[in-house]
Amino acid sequence: MAPSLGNLTLWLSLLFAIFQFVISHKKNFCSVLQFNKIAVNGLLFCALVSFFSLMYCHIVSDFSVINVFQNSHTTKPLLYKISGVWGNHEGSMLLWILVLTIFNYFIFKLYNQKNIIFISKTLETQAIITIGFLLFTILTSNPFDRMIQSHTNGLGFNPLLQDPALAIHPPLLYIGYVGFSAAFSLSVAAMSINTEEKIPWYNYLKPFVLAAWIFLSAGIAFGSIWAYYELGWGGWWFWDPVENASFMPWLLGTALVHSLITVERRKSLQSWVLLLSILSFLLSIIGTFLVRSGILTSVHTFALDPARGIYILTFVALLGGYSLILFGLKSKNFLNRHYFSFFSREGAILVNNIIMIVVCASVFLGTIYPLLVEVFSNNKISVGEPYFNSVTIPIMMPAILVMGMGPMLSWGKSDVIGILIKSLPSFLLAVVISSIFFWVYGSYNMLGLAGIVLAFWIMSNILLTIALQLNIKNKEVTQENIPKYSSGMIIAHFGIALLILGITGSSIWQKEKIIRMKLNDETSIYNYNIVFKEVSEVMGPNYVALQGNFWVYNNKKNIITKLKPENRFYPVTNNSTTEASIHTNLSRDLYVVLGDGDLNRGWIVRMYYNPLVVWIWIGAFAIFLGGLFSMKNNLKKLKRLSI
Amino acid sequence: MQRILLAIVVCLMMSQIITLNCNSVEPDEFLQNPKKELRARNISKNVRCLVCQNQSIDESSAHLAKDLRILIRRKIIQGNSDEEIYSFLTERYGDFILLKPPFKIGTLLLWVLPFVFLAVGIFVIFLYNNKSKKLDYNK
Amino acid sequence: MKKNILISPIILFFLILLVFFYLLITDRNPSELPSMLINKKVPAFEAKLLLENKTFISPGEFENETTLVNFFATWCKPCRDEHPYLKKLSDERGLKIIGINYKDDSKRAVKWLEKLGNPYSSVLLDSNARLGIDWGVYGLPETFIVNSNGVIKYRLVGPITKKNYNAFVLKVKEVEK
Repeated sequence: MAPSLGNLTLWLSLLFAIFQFVISHKKNFCSVLQFNKIAVNGLLFCALVSFFSLMYCHIVSDFSVINVFQNSHTTKPLLYKISGVWGNHEGSMLLWILVLTIFNYFIFKLYNQKNIIFISKTLETQAIITIGFLLFTILTSNPFDRMIQSHTNGLGFNPLLQDPALAIHPPLLYIGYVGFSAAFSLSVAAMSINTEEKIPWYNYLKPFVLAAWIFLSAGIAFGSIWAYYELGWGGWWFWDPVENASFMPWLLGTALVHSLITVERRKSLQSWVLLLSILSFLLSIIGTFLVRSGILTSVHTFALDPARGIYILTFVALLGGYSLILFGLKSKNFLNRHYFSFFSREGAILVNNIIMIVVCASVFLGTIYPLLVEVFSNNKISVGEPYFNSVTIPIMMPAILVMGMGPMLSWGKSDVIGILIKSLPSFLLAVVISSIFFWVYGSYNMLGLAGIVLAFWIMSNILLTIALQLNIKNKEVTQENIPKYSSGMIIAHFGIALLILGITGSSIWQKEKIIRMKLNDETSIYNYNIVFKEVSEVMGPNYVALQGNFWVYNNKKNIITKLKPENRFYPVTNNSTTEASIHTNLSRDLYVVLGDGDLNRGWIVRMYYNPLVVWIWIGAFAIFLGGLFSMKNNLKKLKRLSI
Repeated sequence: MQRILLAIVVCLMMSQIITLNCNSVEPDEFLQNPKKELRARNISKNVRCLVCQNQSIDESSAHLAKDLRILIRRKIIQGNSDEEIYSFLTERYGDFILLKPPFKIGTLLLWVLPFVFLAVGIFVIFLYNNKSKKLDYNK
Repeated sequence: MKKNILISPIILFFLILLVFFYLLITDRNPSELPSMLINKKVPAFEAKLLLENKTFISPGEFENETTLVNFFATWCKPCRDEHPYLKKLSDERGLKIIGINYKDDSKRAVKWLEKLGNPYSSVLLDSNARLGIDWGVYGLPETFIVNSNGVIKYRLVGPITKKNYNAFVLKVKEVEK
């Protein structure tokens, strides 16, 4: 019953999407709104029913459905039965479609008397994208296909994926990617309509771009958090092709968000916004392609079929070709002749755009280079972490330097000398605080120095800006030299500073110790003493684990915590995983992993002292929060303008 | 088809790991001399585990990774330089085994292009700046 | 000039897609490595034999005829599966096959060969993977075709199966010429 319902509503969604396309393509104004209401609501309803039908099949363990059989098992905990719906290729496509229909609905809600043609054009483009995804899913990846033979139980589910952070990671990412699809559609519509219409298309873009960007940030953050505590190396970013696939749209999204601000305030950089919207979306899809086509090996490719890859590639070629050619033809209509100096907020944003694009292009180059080498020679090479670190870090640094200046710069033109003088106190503050850090950690690494100084440079500048603003409010001095700041920007930029602080601290000052320990052995790392107290067997819902118990003492001989890393064995899938045990506080993480061993020889124990790691996650959260504030302000403003 | 077979082979090799108990770098492998051990770790971090998905041999628990780690340490003790050790590996496994792509004619584009992109970007900024200045004069 | 600036990214975009398209169409294995030893002489090495009390010295033993070198182990299931095909190559075609027992228990290996039959003219011991590394082996089983001049001409990664047996034999014939 449920699988059939799911399949039926999937096909119905396709019909509604086609209907939406046909309707939006027509020029009959009155009915367009009415009919699109039917199309959009129908699409949303069918997608919801289809998605929840699949979820129902997973929850009740209906193994007649191939998707459930391949990915689930009766002993799988309920939370992971649910998240398992999107933890596989077919189910994840259904989630993509659901999010597409939700954003489609929000685009529909933008209709008013003045923008009928514009929004219709947007819905038309969005319909094409939705049709593309629906056709792909129905024809090549239908989650409702049935088993020929019946089985009483399923194949189970990769234990690495049975985790809360990894459960939430895909939905967040897809909201990001689909948000960029909305930006894409709005941009295509903006370029397609008659320019005499004077539609403030950029105002419509902003909420979608912001939503996309903040959820993409959150998705990437959760992926990294998971990698950090699950993979057992204290690392959280590996420049794996699939990580790069989500990072590249994020970089362009950052440039896009900033360019939108410039367009709003000063009407410049409009063609940048259009191009970045197109490219962010194209990269999101190409990223999806790379992961699912079997073209690369990576830690998390869904092992797939070249046929599916060809489909996605064709889809990208059509959408990309059309939108880029349209941009080539129409971008000259969006040029704005506003003057801005290099030392202005627009100038800073332009510099940021350039650097984000350069980093994105470099990451893309590094990711596909092995493929290029394979095609053009008989050789195979790897492009790994060392490459990406050596290339992206030096290029990012000027961007961060400029970002620190950002709050101080005015629109149009800034007094260079004045700014430099004003920012002197924050520079000094940054140097002083950084010196303290280096004295505390006792290390003189150049890269570390740069990272810490940059982080505090940003923070000090923000505090300085706030102080100057408050000063004005109190003394009623004219505002001409101090530009207004938004709460969103302050929080998000502060978040980036915290992120850099965490990244630098955990990379430069990490301490690792790998030793063999027998029961009751004691060892020390940094200022902590660790005693291996006992080993025990633990039963989980679908696993058996060997758990070590490590007592951690600080240098005053007080016990701080008991760390309990586990080695888990999942009998259904015949997999093992190691679960690290982590004690977190604001200044450092203590991280212990239990390796192999036995009572006679002892066990291999890996421990890490990771300073400042938690600031990475706090920073990411601040970025998310800052974006949310911006979104809130933006939506308020849109309501006021009642556009 | 061959791909599926290889996947089976790799899986089977990996499954043996549960019974044969292999680990990522183990304390028993460590060299006595901390400087040499640091060299060994750094080299290992740059050597790709060929039967894993995107890991270095330092992190990997595959048997081949362990064999290569031991080989690298032996060569360090024998007095080989880092370059000699990398050559030894690439002669047998190709450039694929290095996580940091080498500086060769084939990888010239790879290393140079990012900085070319940056140069182009800076050029674009100057263009904008000049255009804006012209507008300012015209006003 | 402006037209060129706008057109080149579009062209670049399609070129990249073309590369992806090509990669999808060709039958390739993303995790398979091409061997670095093709068209190179067999590595020089010495190894103990499993079944005799002699030492095997390369490259001397590789002259005169086309030889196969097969890396195998008793703990490797695909090696077990390909065994009958090795026997076929050795019995029916009279091919000289040198087996290299990779990281294995000698006693188990002897029993294994007794039970399944021995297609190898000599079985070398490689208990510490040194031979494997010298030959660039990264997964079992692997089979190399060496010509009568001691030059390695081909490597098969993975087992010889019903599906690839004929193609493999063709390759051997090519090398024999």
